[in-house]
Amino acid sequence: MPSSGKSLPHDSAHGHVTGGARYIDDLPRQAGELWVGFVGSPVASGKIRSLDLSEAREVPGVVCLLTHQDLGGPNHFGPIISDEPFLAEEALAYLTQPVVVIGATTLDALHAARQLVRIECEPLEPILTIDEALSAGSFIGPKRRMTSPGAEDDARFEAAFATAPHTLSGRFFSKGQEQFYFETQAALALPGEAGDVRVISSTQNPTETQAVVAEALGLGMHEVVCECHRMGGGFGGKETQSAIPAVMAAMVARHTGRPARVVLDRHDDMLVTGKRHAYQTDYRVAFDESGRLLAAQMAFYSNGGAFADLSTSVMERTMLHADNAYYVPLMRVTGQVCRTNLPPNTAFRGFGGPQGVAVIENCLEDIARVVGRDPIDVRRTNLYRDGDPQRSVTQYGQIVRDHVLAEIVAELEASSDYRRRREAIDRFNATSQTHCKGLALSTIKFGISFTTKFLNQANALVNLYTDGTVQVSTGGTEMGQGLNTKIRQLVADEFGLAPERVRVMPTTTEKNHNTSPTAASAGTDLNGAAALEACAQIKARMQSYAARLLENTERGLVAAAEHIVIDDGWVYDDRDPDPNNRIEFGLFCAMARRERVDLGARGFFATPGVDYNRDTGRGNPFFYFTTGAAVAEVTIDRFTGELVCDRADLLMDIGRSINPGVDRGQVIGGYIQGVGWVTNEDLCYDSAGRLLSTGPTTYKIPNITDTPRVFNVAFKDNPKHQKNLRQSKAVGEPPLMLGLAVWLAAKNALGSGSDAKVCDLAIPATGEELLNRIEALSSRKPVLIARS
Amino acid sequence: MRDHLVFYLNGQRHTAGASEATLTLSEYLRDGHGSAGRLCGTKIACAEGDCGACTVLVGKPVPGEDRLVYETLDACIAFVFQMDRRHVVTVEGVGGKPETTPATRLTPPQQAMVICHGSQCGYCTPGFVMALHGLAEAASQDVPPKGYSEDELRLGLSGNLCRCTGYEQILEAGRSLAAQTVGPLDQRYDAAAICADFAQLGETSVRLGGSNAPPNGAPNGSIKVLTKGPAHDAAATSGGIFLPATLDELLTHRAAYPSARLVSGATDLGVQRNHRKITIHDVILTTRVPELDRLEVQDGVLHVGAAVSWSRLEAFTRELLPAYHAILTRFGSPQVRNAGSLVGNLANASPIADSIPFHYVACSTLELASVRGVRSVPIADFYQGYKQLDLAPDEVITNLATPLPTQDVALRLYKISKRRDMDISTVTMAFWIERKKDRIDSVRLAAGGVGPTVVRLPRAEAALRDGEFTLEAMRAAGRLAREEITPLTDVRGAAAYRLQLVENLFAKCWHELAGTAAVRA
Repeated sequence: MPSSGKSLPHDSAHGHVTGGARYIDDLPRQAGELWVGFVGSPVASGKIRSLDLSEAREVPGVVCLLTHQDLGGPNHFGPIISDEPFLAEEALAYLTQPVVVIGATTLDALHAARQLVRIECEPLEPILTIDEALSAGSFIGPKRRMTSPGAEDDARFEAAFATAPHTLSGRFFSKGQEQFYFETQAALALPGEAGDVRVISSTQNPTETQAVVAEALGLGMHEVVCECHRMGGGFGGKETQSAIPAVMAAMVARHTGRPARVVLDRHDDMLVTGKRHAYQTDYRVAFDESGRLLAAQMAFYSNGGAFADLSTSVMERTMLHADNAYYVPLMRVTGQVCRTNLPPNTAFRGFGGPQGVAVIENCLEDIARVVGRDPIDVRRTNLYRDGDPQRSVTQYGQIVRDHVLAEIVAELEASSDYRRRREAIDRFNATSQTHCKGLALSTIKFGISFTTKFLNQANALVNLYTDGTVQVSTGGTEMGQGLNTKIRQLVADEFGLAPERVRVMPTTTEKNHNTSPTAASAGTDLNGAAALEACAQIKARMQSYAARLLENTERGLVAAAEHIVIDDGWVYDDRDPDPNNRIEFGLFCAMARRERVDLGARGFFATPGVDYNRDTGRGNPFFYFTTGAAVAEVTIDRFTGELVCDRADLLMDIGRSINPGVDRGQVIGGYIQGVGWVTNEDLCYDSAGRLLSTGPTTYKIPNITDTPRVFNVAFKDNPKHQKNLRQSKAVGEPPLMLGLAVWLAAKNALGSGSDAKVCDLAIPATGEELLNRIEALSSRKPVLIARS
Repeated sequence: MRDHLVFYLNGQRHTAGASEATLTLSEYLRDGHGSAGRLCGTKIACAEGDCGACTVLVGKPVPGEDRLVYETLDACIAFVFQMDRRHVVTVEGVGGKPETTPATRLTPPQQAMVICHGSQCGYCTPGFVMALHGLAEAASQDVPPKGYSEDELRLGLSGNLCRCTGYEQILEAGRSLAAQTVGPLDQRYDAAAICADFAQLGETSVRLGGSNAPPNGAPNGSIKVLTKGPAHDAAATSGGIFLPATLDELLTHRAAYPSARLVSGATDLGVQRNHRKITIHDVILTTRVPELDRLEVQDGVLHVGAAVSWSRLEAFTRELLPAYHAILTRFGSPQVRNAGSLVGNLANASPIADSIPFHYVACSTLELASVRGVRSVPIADFYQGYKQLDLAPDEVITNLATPLPTQDVALRLYKISKRRDMDISTVTMAFWIERKKDRIDSVRLAAGGVGPTVVRLPRAEAALRDGEFTLEAMRAAGRLAREEITPLTDVRGAAAYRLQLVENLFAKCWHELAGTAAVRA
């Protein structure tokens, strides 16, 4: 019986529930181990005048204080643009930017030393917001452009706006979001005997960590090994930003010859690490009486923080998702990353997609009000239409095919009882003096693949042992998403084994090298395919050997590998199914080894057919799209702005799920994370650039009591999808954007008591934001607080 | 007087002295103190009692019985000295005994979490497992066990955050357990033996460390001298960790060591300590003093002693004071309410404390005791400025006396926070309105989060008094109230938002009392 398609528990579930699963801080203390911490910039922008380490050095237990001068290589790195110093030299680019790394024998000594490092600096006026960066011309990378086929001509593009029955324009704001992985950034560095170093890191990106540590220490990559057993959550926050803590631990290990571990506390982690980018978008849309989009223009600006990190790539995905699931005949999109004095912003589930999707979903909600149609009908009117070449081409030229978007919307409309609830809500709003309700549907079409072509590759190592058990290693990392569980199922099925006989091993760069980060929702797609390719190699050898072994010329069975079946724990020739002529799988493996058959293989996979030219803004960046829709209902207290999510209905096409239990968890978890982004997760900074919300006390991720009482999640079968691993689809990021349904429902609710055509609302729609909008709409007072 | 702590950890007896007493419980567990080895199942994700990843169960003996009552607690902000004569059970200790096979070692909550895909990254999971066990323990107190409702399940887990799952699968795990009986911990451990050991230790005080012997008798009227903190050499006057067993001992010790910290639940102290704002060496624990354990209604007055936890008060006021009870269910988290206390909250003097506006409008009175005697202070007089109290250095808050509202009083309490549960309020408000027919007979209003202390709103009160109870009157009073407060802008909200909230709550209150609210509060 294949295990693919079954909801096997997470392969660490037992360890999770018993507390036996280990994270970096749980690993046994090593003899002589040092605690590692850092001291960062006291200002968001400035220059170091002097650095005094003398007092800190006197603290008993302090073993080393390291600065950029202690690096073994050049002091800069970056996944795309190498503009970020490991440790600040003279220029200080953001508050808490690491300057000094400390190694100490106790945590108390470390904290004491941190207090005694004296950094004297000349503060400069920081650039904190997008507006300030625009004024100062402070940017990262070039402004990128994407123009849909047909929209190249200025006159034609402007004519579309000039002649359209309706147009809307505005400026849209979305704030950032903290990843809030539960395990903070952490790494343990173990010095080797010849100057080499092994780093055990909570990272989505072991190869990058290996490379960065090697660079920082002046070592060859072959002298550094990076391991990751599991992460206590990643969400993109450990794609690049796990590197600096790993470098800190490795520097201390290298300089002292002692094991060294860094585990950031929550406060430091939130202060120093990058987050989802805040965006500001100028948009205009042209549409007809039915709400059908005729043309759209969007100028995206993101707050990139002090260094490039992944910001340009994040912006690229925003531009590639400016259409979401809707066909826009004429579209122009630009994207510019702003350089500011905040920590460099980085990957977070959705990777720029949410910020793009939010803008067009906001437009569609407003369009529906202008033309007086239900928003669900306006969305339906604008959906990409499968098989219709007139309504299938994206603004970057890729054809959206083999999808069931229309069916998803129709099915969800029925299953969520949308029309009846719309009427009930209208009645409620007509009489309620205290609350308003809103209902909204939103969709997602999320492109799967790294938009940077070379990252779409993976390798895997499969070791088959002589008892018929298997170890699989890939470059994929387990952060809770169930990658290992799925790979285990795939490999078990490939050998026809019970999943218990397959074990997915901790990720290390000595088994799998030159790997891509576990990101872009593609972890299973890439690493699973590589693992299967390795399995196929081994199986071919086994079949070849089995064909000879089971050959029986007397009975007319000539050796024929194509007739060898490896399934259900047995190896046999399908022309001779007699149970007595079957060989038990484990026994067969032992025999194969004795006959010098190679029972291990390294598999490789590269996604076919993806390519994208970022200079022209054209190409086929995506292997396929994961799609879905959500309907959400909310109730808002008109006096306080408090919002309650009453009900959510989600329907997604995730292909043929390898593990529906795991995938359902991704859908629900992603959705609620998206709801957090659009409701209560509110990053507040002071005028000096210091983050004020630095822990769960002040930064409010969704609580269990915030989840809807009625919560339906279903999957839509899509027989047209024949691509990818076992016809599955990636699932990690797409559902996050369905959380926008809650925000749209809030917007819908706000408009209910007003004749205003457009109800401006920013992300996140906190109680404060909602109350401000309610007050502004009801009294036509200016909005109480200008948000940036 | 004992000079060491005695507690049980997963069934094993531990003793601890002064140096270990001031560790947080999570440090004690994770660093492997005592004989337990490193117990790393208790995770630290925030170190401020706001995520529940460190949830453990703490069992307290029931006097005169061979059983313990277990409650959840955040180990990251609890101190070891609070564990004296308690049984701490961690995630490593709920399961089957080590000799059982791995498959049978999982408890029903653990099994349910595995089957329902209740874990993803796994970091918060032990905390949820312990919270589920806590719910089961509470349900097992009833005979037959009553299980828990959906509301109780959600509230019971509201002290635990999860970033991966979106919670639905955890709720499914919880629901799947509601019908079945999870074996109570008293079946897992020999409760009789633990209780017998604790009984043998007796109700004596415990003192750990401290640099001189406890003083004999009361200081001779030298309160004034004692208040001059800086004149005392801190080391020379350290009282160490003191767990008094009687009020006399508490007051005597307090008089001798006025700079010692009075601790009840430590839910704020633990946070400050983890943020390295304070060090803990000179402490008096108030929760073991029987005289402070008062929770009763006498002649229409509710008495809440300093040793009464929020969760006990929450249960006690369910029918007695439903509006107050409703606010309490949103106070901190279940874990925090199991540790913290009303009196601790009063002493902490936060202007955004959720409970205080009610006590302002109810005209509660604090009872303060010292070796010099006892006095009462009306709550509004007790707070003199931001964290400035009418409390002498040798005084201790022993009790809060609150006249209960009569049938004529309409009481509405509000807590507005960014997130419904486990959040600190942006604004709190209390409306105490007595009506005769449609006229307002008397009115008391108080607001929190709008200035350095909770405040009454005298101008708004005056405007409403003797007037008709109409929406227009309430709206007008709301506009007046805006002028009586001076809120700040901070991470929880802008000043303008707070002003608007206070104004709007008048209208909201009217609709709720008039029965015209579209959604029941």
